[in-house]
Amino acid sequence: MASRSFVRVLSAALSLLLILVCSVAAQTPPKVIKIGAVYPLTGNIASTGLDCKRGVDLAVDIINGKYDLDLPLAKTAGLPNLGGAKIEIVYADTKGDPRNGMSEAERLITSEKVVAMIGAYQSAVTKTASQITERLKIPYVCSDSSSPTLTDRGYKYFYRVSPHDDIFARDQFQFLKDLEKKTGQKVQTVAVLYENTEFGSQAGKAYKRFAAEFGYKVVADITYSANATDVTSEVSKLIVSKPDVLMHASYITDAILFTKTFKEKGFQPKGILTMAGYIEPGYLDAIKADGNYVIVRSTFALDLGKNKPLVTKVNTLFKKKYGIDMSENAARSFMAPFVVADAINRAKSTDPEAMVKALNETNITGNQVLYPWQGIKFDPQSHQNIYARGTLVQVLNQEYITVWPFDAASKPVVWPFPEWKGRK
Amino acid sequence: MRNFTVRQVIAGVATLLLLIAFPLVISQSVHIHVMILVFMFGMLGVAWNIMGGYAGMFSFGQAAFFGIGAYTSSYLSVAHGVNPWIGLVAGGCAAALVAAAIGYPCSSLRGHYFAIASIAFAEIVRIVFNNWQTVGAAEGLTLSMQNESFANFLFNSSKLPYYYIMLAFLLLSLAVCYFVATSKMGYYFRAIKESHKIAEVMGVNVVLYRLMAIMISAFLSAMAGTFYAQYVLYIDPGSVMVLATSVQIVLISMLGGAGSIMGPVIGAAILIPASEYTRITLGYKGTGVDMLIYGLLITLISMYYPDGVWKLLSKIGGKTRRSVNS
Amino acid sequence: MPDQLLQQLVDGLLIGLMYSLVAIGLTLIWGVMNIVNFAHGEFLMLGMFTSFWLFTLYGIDPIFSIPICFVGMFIMGTLIYRFIVSKVMKGPMLAQLVVTFGVSIFISNLAVFFWTPDFRLLPATMLQGTWQVGGITLSVPKVAASVGSIIASVCVLIFMTRTITGKAILATEMDRDAALLMGINTERINSLSFGIGTALVGVAGAFLSTYYYIYPQVGGLFGTIAFCVVALGGFGSIEGAFIAGILVGLAQTLGGFFFDPSYKYAIVFSIYLITIWIRPKGLLGW
Repeated sequence: MASRSFVRVLSAALSLLLILVCSVAAQTPPKVIKIGAVYPLTGNIASTGLDCKRGVDLAVDIINGKYDLDLPLAKTAGLPNLGGAKIEIVYADTKGDPRNGMSEAERLITSEKVVAMIGAYQSAVTKTASQITERLKIPYVCSDSSSPTLTDRGYKYFYRVSPHDDIFARDQFQFLKDLEKKTGQKVQTVAVLYENTEFGSQAGKAYKRFAAEFGYKVVADITYSANATDVTSEVSKLIVSKPDVLMHASYITDAILFTKTFKEKGFQPKGILTMAGYIEPGYLDAIKADGNYVIVRSTFALDLGKNKPLVTKVNTLFKKKYGIDMSENAARSFMAPFVVADAINRAKSTDPEAMVKALNETNITGNQVLYPWQGIKFDPQSHQNIYARGTLVQVLNQEYITVWPFDAASKPVVWPFPEWKGRK
Repeated sequence: MRNFTVRQVIAGVATLLLLIAFPLVISQSVHIHVMILVFMFGMLGVAWNIMGGYAGMFSFGQAAFFGIGAYTSSYLSVAHGVNPWIGLVAGGCAAALVAAAIGYPCSSLRGHYFAIASIAFAEIVRIVFNNWQTVGAAEGLTLSMQNESFANFLFNSSKLPYYYIMLAFLLLSLAVCYFVATSKMGYYFRAIKESHKIAEVMGVNVVLYRLMAIMISAFLSAMAGTFYAQYVLYIDPGSVMVLATSVQIVLISMLGGAGSIMGPVIGAAILIPASEYTRITLGYKGTGVDMLIYGLLITLISMYYPDGVWKLLSKIGGKTRRSVNS
Repeated sequence: MPDQLLQQLVDGLLIGLMYSLVAIGLTLIWGVMNIVNFAHGEFLMLGMFTSFWLFTLYGIDPIFSIPICFVGMFIMGTLIYRFIVSKVMKGPMLAQLVVTFGVSIFISNLAVFFWTPDFRLLPATMLQGTWQVGGITLSVPKVAASVGSIIASVCVLIFMTRTITGKAILATEMDRDAALLMGINTERINSLSFGIGTALVGVAGAFLSTYYYIYPQVGGLFGTIAFCVVALGGFGSIEGAFIAGILVGLAQTLGGFFFDPSYKYAIVFSIYLITIWIRPKGLLGW
């Protein structure tokens, strides 16, 4: 029968084909640079994690493609110093648990062979994830976790692009002083309210520290669980303490619940200054007009586009891709891939030590970032971006409008906080 | 003392050899990590089993003991430079003391009431630790990465030491469970589980033996807690004292087979990889599909193997070990 | 702060009655079948989403979705009993616990899958705003929920004590074997009770949706408190669950206001523990 020799010829041909394919594949440059991203993609805080992912994905689109934007590596396709190599983000779900942050970061490094890490939004998770990257000597560029302790550790491989909560807290007190200077509106007493995980308690400490430094009296110091069924006692306590201003560090669930309860009980301070939860897109989606007049710390707002066309251009791309406007979370997470890609490009290599050297030399100018900063440059000790600044936005007509610093404001701040009753 | 059949000995030794060889063959750290978790939760399940499967006290608050162990050794290490191995023992003792303190007034509670009481207790512990500034309150405790050594219970360059230590802990807890199950204590436990009144009539000091069960269980859980702290190097109440962990421990023991020594280990061997690998492969999509599969798995196992998978495996293996009625 | 005391009492009562409403269904299932329904919180969530979608898609106000929620959740509860829970009724207690737990994970993640994890709030519905009554602020939706809770409890009690089916349920709760001997179809009773219990918590969800945010994991918080309430009141006792719910609401609010809000829930759980040490079967349990 001819079948046996036919089989032999066939298998020989197949092996040759296989060798050919492999050698071609081996010759084609790999040219994909993998970066790991750990975020809470499922679980209680999934809506935030997915929001951050939107920012990261858009950044990767811009880096890998050719865009006429004033962002690092936007105008070229991929990384020019590495032959047009493209960035690929490998995501891992932390479910908001620090233990998963550690194991997923490790898996991304050892199994997926990522050369750098970004994420993880929640400071507690960033803590453990960055412990692993420090142990395994892989650079970690964080642009969305705000606990000050992250850059207090003196790590060699950890960098933070965005402001931390000490900066944000200080901003809010500076705003009060500036307000007094500008309008004569005086504030004397402050109530401090914060959720009881790492983020909230750090922020609460910062609030109290700066209150003392700036000379304000803290008349209420209340902490609570972010996942509460009811916050009437907390709000009642706030009301009896009669503060001029409320400072609130919260996640989104408590932001929603507290706003509803403020309205229900008619809590009427002169101003409500907040962090984090109030600037999540889900907050206004849920609370709608009741969110008006709240002031939130921010790094980004759409109205910055008036002075910085880059913002509007990026938002147009964002809206085209996702159908919604860019949120502050997405905007913060947006920056990290650029910083990493820029460093790799300058280092012309993905070797960790070369990347660290390049990161230490990072000097991205202010016109190349979405925020009103002088740019991005890392402090040699703490690796905190020395130019990271916050702004304050106020919710006006269900939009986030920059109101401070006053010279960057697009509208004057509405102060004091209008009465609940009078509103529609 | 019970005698083992030749088959059981061979199976046991073979499994042990496989486990010892595993990390030497499989180098990917994610799989070793999953196995470490399997051992850790297996130990927690065995600890639960001592008071739950054998003595009839279904605790949904084991995370409290786990957390107390983690916090005791970590606080002593961070604030006072105490060696973690000493901290390990201290943590176990602390947990056992707390267990006795809460166990005593709860001595007469049975069934569902005990279960809810354990949840209430664990939540109180978590809230207390969350507000307790000395041990870091909500920020938790971060352990140092410096000076890795066996003496310091710290290893940076490789996971293998953690793997073998946890395996050793697991074997220790199994030995304790075996001893308890086959001794007079175990006999009294089972009597108490059946009925307090009958046990009393038989002359068993119900309160004392209930306390002993809880204390042993707490001690072992705390040991696992210290291990976790030394492994992850960061603990906070939200990660070591949560209800979700306690529930997972019950699930593991129950699905594996409560009231049998190896049951919780089998349960851990099934559920932990199930939840870890579904998260790894599906979690990043954010659609919740990984948890859907997990929930489905739990539902199906409890519907079709209500006595636990261990019983099923025993039947397949042809072993004639009489497992304790759950 | 005597004026605050009254306000706090009222607040505590309002939240407490909501807890009671959530707990009634749970205690019914528990009492009749001796099953801890871990999926109870998820049924609450489904009730909330039903109300949300009925309003968003069809403009039906939550007040009118209540009967729809009741019927819909009744059917769901019965189906889940028939196809899943009944299979483990003969098994060990742990298996029953775990089955409902698996169902709870499945349902909450199914909700994530279909509806995303985003948070939703119902906009202005018929029940909105606050009333000022003699210096006390009352939230209208919470008052409506409280009234609903009272009505529901009374209805269930009347049903249990005055109708034949209800008495059959009560009999099964008290002594399953005797009920069987009396010719009661306990399997049908189980299914009915599971259905009613689920329907009740679905209604609780409809009320809750008028003032609380809606998302797939919302069941967890309320579920844990509901277990506490049921155990405090005594398994199987409707009156017990009702009273215990109020007590828990008061403890939480008064403790939070006069002591420390961060220990709010610790106070609730401590009260549970102390009560249970004194009366091991709960306040009104048998």
